[in-house]
Amino acid sequence: MSELLIRHACVVDPVNRISGEIMDLAVRDGRIVESVSDRAEVIDAQGFLTMAGGIDSHTHICGTKVNFGRYMSPEDMRAGRTLKKGQMHSTSGYSVPTTYGNSYRYATMGYTAVLEGAMAPLEARHTHEEFMATPLQDTMANVLFDGNWPVMEAVRDRDVKRVAAIVAWVLTAVKGFAIKITNPGGTEAWGWGKNVTCIRDPVPYFEVTPAEIIETLIRANEILRLPHSVHLHCNNLGTPGNYSCTIGSMDVAPDLNKERQSLYVTHVQFHSYGGTSWKDINSKAHVVADAVNRKPHIVIDMGQMMFGKTTTMTADGPMEFNLYKLHHNKWSNHDVELETGSGIIPVYYSRKSIVNSVMWAIGLELALLIKNPEQCLLATDNPNGSPFVKYPEIIALLMSNPYRQAEIATLPPETESRISLPAIDRELDWNEIAMMTRAGQGRALGLRKLGRGHLGLGAIADIAIYPLSIGAIDPSKEYTRVIEALRLTRYTIKNGKVIARDGEILSNRNKTTIWVRPKIPEQHRMDHDPDFIRNFERYYTVRMSNYPVQEAYVPESTCIETEAVW
Amino acid sequence: MLHEDVVCPFCACLCDDLKVETDNGTIVKVDNACDLGNHKFLTDDDHRLKEPIRRTPSGWTSATLQHAIDRTVEILLGADRPLLYGWSGTHGEAQSIGVHMAEVLGGVIDSTTSVCHGPSILAIQEVGHPGCTLGQVKNRADLVVYWGANPIEAHPRHMSRYTTYTDGFFLDRAFKERKVIVVDIRRTQTAEVADEFILIKKGGDYAVLSALRAIVRGKSDMIPATVAGVTKEQLLRIAEMCKKAKFGAFFFGMGITQTQGKYKNIRNAIELVDELNRHTKFTLTPMRGHYNVYGFNEVCTWMTGYPYAVDFCRGMAFYNPGETSAVDILARKECDACLVVASDPAAHFPKDAVRHLGEIPTVQIDPYPNTTTAFCELQIPVAVTGIDAQGTSYRMDGVPIRVKSILNRGYPTDTDILGEIYRRIKEAKRV
Amino acid sequence: MVRVILDVKPRKNPFLPVEAECLVPKNFVDEREPRDLSVWVGNKERRLEEVVTLTREGTATSPEDVELVLRGDTSRFKRVGEYMEAGRITIEGDIGMHCGNLMKGGMIVIHGNADSWLAREMVGGTVRCNGDAHHYCASGYRGEKRGMRGGEVEVMGNAGDFTAEYLTGGSVTIHGNSGDLTGVEMAGGTLIVHGDCSRVCANMTGGTGYVYGMVHHMIPTFRFRETAIIGPEKVKMSVFEGDIANRGKGTLFIKVYKYPL
Repeated sequence: MSELLIRHACVVDPVNRISGEIMDLAVRDGRIVESVSDRAEVIDAQGFLTMAGGIDSHTHICGTKVNFGRYMSPEDMRAGRTLKKGQMHSTSGYSVPTTYGNSYRYATMGYTAVLEGAMAPLEARHTHEEFMATPLQDTMANVLFDGNWPVMEAVRDRDVKRVAAIVAWVLTAVKGFAIKITNPGGTEAWGWGKNVTCIRDPVPYFEVTPAEIIETLIRANEILRLPHSVHLHCNNLGTPGNYSCTIGSMDVAPDLNKERQSLYVTHVQFHSYGGTSWKDINSKAHVVADAVNRKPHIVIDMGQMMFGKTTTMTADGPMEFNLYKLHHNKWSNHDVELETGSGIIPVYYSRKSIVNSVMWAIGLELALLIKNPEQCLLATDNPNGSPFVKYPEIIALLMSNPYRQAEIATLPPETESRISLPAIDRELDWNEIAMMTRAGQGRALGLRKLGRGHLGLGAIADIAIYPLSIGAIDPSKEYTRVIEALRLTRYTIKNGKVIARDGEILSNRNKTTIWVRPKIPEQHRMDHDPDFIRNFERYYTVRMSNYPVQEAYVPESTCIETEAVW
Repeated sequence: MLHEDVVCPFCACLCDDLKVETDNGTIVKVDNACDLGNHKFLTDDDHRLKEPIRRTPSGWTSATLQHAIDRTVEILLGADRPLLYGWSGTHGEAQSIGVHMAEVLGGVIDSTTSVCHGPSILAIQEVGHPGCTLGQVKNRADLVVYWGANPIEAHPRHMSRYTTYTDGFFLDRAFKERKVIVVDIRRTQTAEVADEFILIKKGGDYAVLSALRAIVRGKSDMIPATVAGVTKEQLLRIAEMCKKAKFGAFFFGMGITQTQGKYKNIRNAIELVDELNRHTKFTLTPMRGHYNVYGFNEVCTWMTGYPYAVDFCRGMAFYNPGETSAVDILARKECDACLVVASDPAAHFPKDAVRHLGEIPTVQIDPYPNTTTAFCELQIPVAVTGIDAQGTSYRMDGVPIRVKSILNRGYPTDTDILGEIYRRIKEAKRV
Repeated sequence: MVRVILDVKPRKNPFLPVEAECLVPKNFVDEREPRDLSVWVGNKERRLEEVVTLTREGTATSPEDVELVLRGDTSRFKRVGEYMEAGRITIEGDIGMHCGNLMKGGMIVIHGNADSWLAREMVGGTVRCNGDAHHYCASGYRGEKRGMRGGEVEVMGNAGDFTAEYLTGGSVTIHGNSGDLTGVEMAGGTLIVHGDCSRVCANMTGGTGYVYGMVHHMIPTFRFRETAIIGPEKVKMSVFEGDIANRGKGTLFIKVYKYPL
C-alpha cells in the first residue's frame, strides 16, 4: 500500500465543480481517496494551481511516420539535445523529439496521457514498440480506417454490421484505441497519385464516397460501444475554401451517444479556411464555430498553429505532396497497402506570411468562439501546428486579450481584414483551461468514468501542480507568468507517484497502454469469415497469422472490453 | 512438428510464409523459402559455436559464460572510446539494449548500415523518401525499376512475392501487365527478364539520373547524344515509359549506394521519383540486405534521433557519418575497444579498419565463428534470431514483423547476454 | 595583444580524439580564465592543462587582441575555433575535423593539412589552409538546407570530395585540385577551383562557380550559354547555366570539360 497526501493544493477540477479551492488531496495505491493514514508521504503544494494530469487527445509521438520524421531530420535532432542525467536518458529533437524527449517534456508540463493520432494497422507493432519507450505517459492509438479495403467494400454493400465486425477485428488485432479516418477515401486515391476534393467524390474503383465512409463508421463505432467516438481528419486539409467541406462533414454525423460526442473532428484550424486561393485566404472560424455551437454531438480540437519551425506529418499523403510543391523542401511519403498513407515535410511558419498569420488566428478564434470549452480541446496536432511545448503560450493567449493584441500587432497589417480575432475580447478562466486540457479530453475519449481528466474520489491520481498562485495573479495582464508556470510543474504525479519535480524526471517508468477489445457475436467474427481471410492472404504481403500485435508489445496494458449492441 | 507462417531471418524481404518442420530439436524440412533461406535453416546446426571461447597465448580455449561476461564488462568499462558495432542480424529488443549500453558507456554505436545503405539514409536526410509498403507495389504497380539491384541473386523471392511475378488486386495477369526496367553496369540475371535494360558505364549513374530528371521536366535540348554509355534515344524512351505508368516502383541496391558519389546517386534517384510524382504515381524502396538492418535504424532513431553512427562520448547523441561511423573510427584508430554483435565486420571492412580490430580488445557476440572471430579476444555464442530466439524485425519497407523461435537449442539469446552486460555496467556506474 | 601558445603534451594514445571547442580567442582574453576550460578526450572530460602546456605573452582586453597558437600534434583536435567570433588562431601543424565550424569572425590559419569539415557552416571570418583540406571543406551539416553562408575559405593545396557542398554564401577558393562533386547542391556564393575537379556544381540552384583546370564527368544537364573571356589573365571559358535537372539558376565558368560518354 502506498499513500500520499497533497496539502494546500489550489484545485481546479471542473468535473467535480471545484474551482480554485485550497484543499488537501489524499491518494492511496494510485487513486484519489477520502483520507489517508498519518504514515502517508506528504507534499506541500503551497497553494499552487493543481489540476488532473493533462491529456493530449491528438498528438503524433510514436510510430512509423513519426520515426521517419526523426530519421530524415538530423538538423531537427541536433536542435533539441539534452544530456543524460540521473534517471534521464539523453534526448534529441525539437519538433520530433526522441521517445524519451517527448515523454520527459510532456511529463514536466504535467501531461500524463496521450493519444497517438494515427496508427496504420499494418505497422501497429512499431507504434507499440515506441509506446514501450515512452515511459511516463499512458498511451493510446487511433487506428486508421480511411482507406481500408474491406471496410470500403462493406460500406459499398451498405453492411454496417460487417463494417463493425471488421473494425472489431482490426482494433483487437493491433491493440488500438479508436477509429481514425484521415482524409477518407483520399488516401486510397493517393495510391494512384489522385485525391478526393470533398465528401461527395467517389473513391476510385471502390465507388463509395467519403460521406458514406464517415457515416457508416460512426454507426459501426456506436454498435461496438467504443469508448471514444470516430476521430475524423476531414478531406481537403489546408486548402483555401475548405471550411464548407468541414461543415459538410460535420453535417454527416448522426447524434448517437448520450455521454459523449458522436464525432471528434481534429485539428480544425487547418480546415476552417475561406477564400479561393492562397492570395485571398481568410478565416471562416466563426462559421465553423457556429456549426459546432449548434451541434453538441461534435467535439473538435484546435489544431493551433504557432510561429516557428516544425515538421508536418500526417496520414494525409496527397496533402503533404501539395505542401511539398509549395515549400520545395524535403518530402517523404509512405503508403500502406489496403489501409492508408502518410506524408512528412518540414515547414517554417512565419510571422511575415499572411497565410501563416491567418492560420495562427483561426485556431484561437475557434477556441474563443465555441461556447463550451469541452467542445474545443487544446491541441496543436503536435507537431503539425507546432510542437506541444508551446501549449503554455497557447493557454496564455486564450486567457489574455492584451497578449493577443500584442501578437496581432506584429503580423502583416493585411492580416487584420481576414480574421475576426482582433474583435474578440473573451478571456478564458482556469476552469475553462482545465476543460480544454484534461476534463474535456477525459470526456471525449470516454475515459471520464474510468477516472481520468478529474480528481474526484476514485479517480486515477494523475496530478499536475504548477508553481502559480492563481488567486494572486491576473492572467490577462501577467501572461508571461502563466507561460513560465505552465512550462514546468512543481510536481507531476502519476498513479500517486511523483514522476517529475521542477523539471527533473524522477521515475524510470510509470505507464500503461490503453486499448479496446469489442466483443461481437462469434459467428460474425472476421477470423471466421472466408472472404475476409481469402482476400487478406491474397492482397496483404504479411500472413494473417503474423498480423496481430502480440502480447509482448503491451507489457503494461489496460484492455477495455466492450459488448457490441448487435 | 510443423511450424507455419515462419518468418525467414535472412534478407530484408522478411518472407513470413515459410513452413518449417522440426524433429527432435533439429530442422528437417523447409518449404517456400529461397535457396538462401533454406541454407540458413538447414545448415544452422552444422557450424554453431558451442560455448564461449577466449584467446590465450597458446590459442583458443573455452571460457565460462561468467568469465566471458566479466571480461566484456571490464573491457567496455575500461575504454575511453568503445565502439559497439553490428546489430543487423539480431532482434530489435537486443538492439535497444545496445543503444542504452552505448549511452551509459559514452561509446559509439553503429550498424552494418554504414557499409550498405548508409548513403541512402544520407540522401533521405537531404530530400526525403517517397515510399510505400511492398503490398502497394504488388497490388498496383505496372512498372518496376531495379537500379543497381540484382534481386534474383540477392533477394530471390522479391520478384515473386512483391513485384514482377505476383498477381495483385489491380493486376490479374501481373507478369504480362507489368513492365520491368533494369539498370546496371553489367548484364545481370535480373536484366535477362527486363523489358528494357539500360547498361550504364561504371560510375555513370548520377549523370544518367540527372539527364532523366531534365527529360521528365521537358528539358532535353542540352543533353549530349550519349550519357555514360546510354543513348539519348533510350533515355527519352525510358522517361516516357515512366511518365505513362499508372504506378511506378523504383527499387535500388548496393550497385548505386556503394559506387562513386554514393549518397548523391540516391538523392538524384529520389529527386527523379519526386519529379515523376508530378506526372503519375511513383515510389522508391531501398533493397535493404540483412533481415533486420532496417530495424536497427528504427530503434536507434526513436532512442537517439539518428538512424546509425551515433557517438555518445559527451553524454548526448552526436551523428556524423564519415566521422562517427565504424569504418572511419577503426581506420583512424580512434576506438580502444570494440563489441561486435550479430555481424561480421572483418569480412566486409577495408584492411586498415580490420587491422585495428585486432589491435584493441574486441569481443564478439555471435552464434557462429566467422572472419571476425580471428580478430577477437573473446566470443560468446548466442541463439539465432528466427530459429531459437524471437523478437522484432523490420522489413525493407518498414513493416515490423515478429520473428519466431521454432526450437530450443539451449543457447542464451542476445537479449539475455546484452541485458546482463548492461545490468553489470549500470551497477558499476551506479545508474 | 596577447599570444597564447598551446603546446600539445605527448599522449599515451595519440589517436583518441580531443574535442576542443573551448579553443577560441574569447576564452583567453583574461589571464585567469583558462582555469575553467576543459576538453573531452574520448568519453572523459579533462582540464585543458592536462592536454596542453599554456604560455601567455602579453595582455589583451578583447578577443580581437588574442592569437592562439597551436603547436605539436593537433591532428586529432576537433572543433578548434568553433563559433569563433574574433581574434586569430594559428595552427602550426595539421588540424582535426570541424575546425572553424559555424565561425562568425576572426581568422584561422592552418600551416599543415586540415581534416574533414573545415569551416563547416561558416557564417563569417577567414580560414586559410596552407596544406590540403580533406572532404567536406566549407560544407554544411547532414540534413540542413544551407551550408556555408558567409566568410572566406582559401585552401592553398588540394581539397577532397564534396568541397563547398551546399555553399550558400561567401567564397571558397581551392588553389590545387578539388575532389568529386565539388560545389554539389550549391545555392549561392562563389566557388573557385584553380586545378581540376569532377562533377562540379552538380544539382546547383544558384551561385557562381569557376574551374580553371579540367572538369571530369561534366554533368550533362547544364546548358551552354556562351564563351567568355575572364579576368586579367584573359582566360577563355565556357559559361553554363544549371543545373537544369533542378530548375537551377546557377552560373558555371569552365575552362575545359569532358562529358561521361
